[in-house]
Amino acid sequence: MTTRLVPRVLGAQLSRAYWAELAWVLIGAPLTLVFTVLVVVGLFLGIGLSLLTIGLPVLIGVVAGARLIGAAHIGLARALLGTTVTPPARPELRPGLWNGVKSKIGDPIGWRSIAYLLIRLPLSFVEFFLVVTLFVYAVSTLTYPLFWFTLNGAAMPTFDLHVDSWPLTLPLALTGLAVLLAMPWVVHGLTSFDRLLVRGVLGAEDLSKRVRDLERSRATAVDDATRRLRRIERDLHDGAQAQLVALAMKLGIAKDELSGDGDIAQVTALVTAAHANAKQALVELRDLARGIHPAALDAGLDIALSTLAAGSGIDARITVTLPSRPSPSIETIAYFTVAELLTNAAKHTSAAIEVDVGIFGDGLRLVVRDGGEGGARPERGGGLAGIAERLATVDGRLDIDSPPGGPTVISAEIPLRT
Amino acid sequence: MRVVIAEDSAILRAGLVELLNLRGHEVVAAVADGDSLCAAVREHRPDVSIVDIRMPPTHTDEGLRASIALRAELPGCAILLFSQYVETQYATELLADRAGGVGYLLKDRVAEVSDFLDALGRVADGETVLDPEVVSQLFTATRKTDALAGLTPREREVLGLMAEGRSNSAIAAGLFLSAGSVEKYVSSIFGKLALPQSEGDNRRVLAVLRYLES
Repeated sequence: MTTRLVPRVLGAQLSRAYWAELAWVLIGAPLTLVFTVLVVVGLFLGIGLSLLTIGLPVLIGVVAGARLIGAAHIGLARALLGTTVTPPARPELRPGLWNGVKSKIGDPIGWRSIAYLLIRLPLSFVEFFLVVTLFVYAVSTLTYPLFWFTLNGAAMPTFDLHVDSWPLTLPLALTGLAVLLAMPWVVHGLTSFDRLLVRGVLGAEDLSKRVRDLERSRATAVDDATRRLRRIERDLHDGAQAQLVALAMKLGIAKDELSGDGDIAQVTALVTAAHANAKQALVELRDLARGIHPAALDAGLDIALSTLAAGSGIDARITVTLPSRPSPSIETIAYFTVAELLTNAAKHTSAAIEVDVGIFGDGLRLVVRDGGEGGARPERGGGLAGIAERLATVDGRLDIDSPPGGPTVISAEIPLRT
Repeated sequence: MRVVIAEDSAILRAGLVELLNLRGHEVVAAVADGDSLCAAVREHRPDVSIVDIRMPPTHTDEGLRASIALRAELPGCAILLFSQYVETQYATELLADRAGGVGYLLKDRVAEVSDFLDALGRVADGETVLDPEVVSQLFTATRKTDALAGLTPREREVLGLMAEGRSNSAIAAGLFLSAGSVEKYVSSIFGKLALPQSEGDNRRVLAVLRYLES
């Protein structure tokens, strides 16, 4: 335990995250003060002058400015605190001057930024003074043993601390060292309030965004279903139906031949061709049915995926570790996701592909690994983007890790609730 | 007959070529899309073309569009539309120019080889031939059910066969009636539906169709 503690504590002193958080705290207070003063003065001016028309543009400017400040804080929080917040969408403008003025002044994001500034002002000052005080304490006590002689027993200029003999400065210095070493955790703890604030006030995903996302994914689901149905219809039309028409036509000719004084060789040839049409129609119907719902899926994902790999001639090692069977709909989505990922991977590599299916948290996780060239990207309209869109309809997600030179690891997560 | 075939399914194209050759007709061109169809018809001036409605690139109504363009360019150019499904709208679009020499058959009809070739021959002769399925859809879609309800079952049978483009003698043979009684039925139908009496089988078919569509 202790052997691990020392490198951890020392490593923390130099870690980028610590210094970034420290920077956030130190520049935060003056920055927030300047912004808050600007915004508050602007608001007073705007409201005071709003009886005159000049007030409205001022107010609009202040709210829009606050919006920008909020966006800047989101960027800063991402860079320094590692908090990723989706920036709010652009305000929707309705036509008409008055509507424009109303929506600009009533821009919820702008007002949220103003609220954020007002909360952040005291918080940033508390953080700033706490951190600065602790640093001053640590530095002065650490150096106390050095300048104890120069003070002639007088107290330290910073904290009014003094000890009577030099050796006693050492334990004091140790407390300073402890404080210094503990700073990364202190700073991290303090900035966690900021994380909450940025997430909760600036980047609060309002319901409307969730609704938009759901609308988008529903549209994807509907489009997808329509596309699938159309593809099934096309496959039937071009495949089995055409074969059966040809079969009926040949049998029709054969029937006519037989009712006359048909040439037996010709009738034999016709019936042979018709027989071939019938068999081909059967093959096409079977493939189509398998594409709609693979029969092997009834026996579970494990058997279905092994059957898929064996049938497609793709060299794949499939491991399925599931404590219990997921719902049929989840199984189907998982099956087709793996099927598409396998086809995709097989296009780019001839090496063996590894497929792992397991439980991860409260979701199903599929990982497809191939030793190909790497560089897989979800291009618009490409296969990977399509898979990601389809997964999004069940709140699932697709992660692509494909550095140049490989290996490519694509993992999909599907929540297990039905 | 000299025939052009436009059908994107290779199996069916080959099958049709085989069937027509076997019955002593000449297939002058067999193509797989609308543009090639127009080119082939301009070049060969066949007696009749067999056209699949759904062809590349979009697989919706290329065959129909090409046929309408061809008939605008070469009036009376005989076209037999050939489709897996019945779309009454397609049929009526093609019949809009009232020039005759058009047909619309379900692909399944090719199983009855002789009937199919007979229909093809009638289209080549400038008649109008509609699949019974198209006619029954027109019957169900029509809003003139009250007027149709005034017909006797026998008269409705005759009306259906008329709409398919059969001549009086063919109707008589099909329903085992004498030519005289068919004529009586026909004039009674025209009276009940207030249709203008018109000369010639094709004009008569078109009158009936327009009645059913309106």
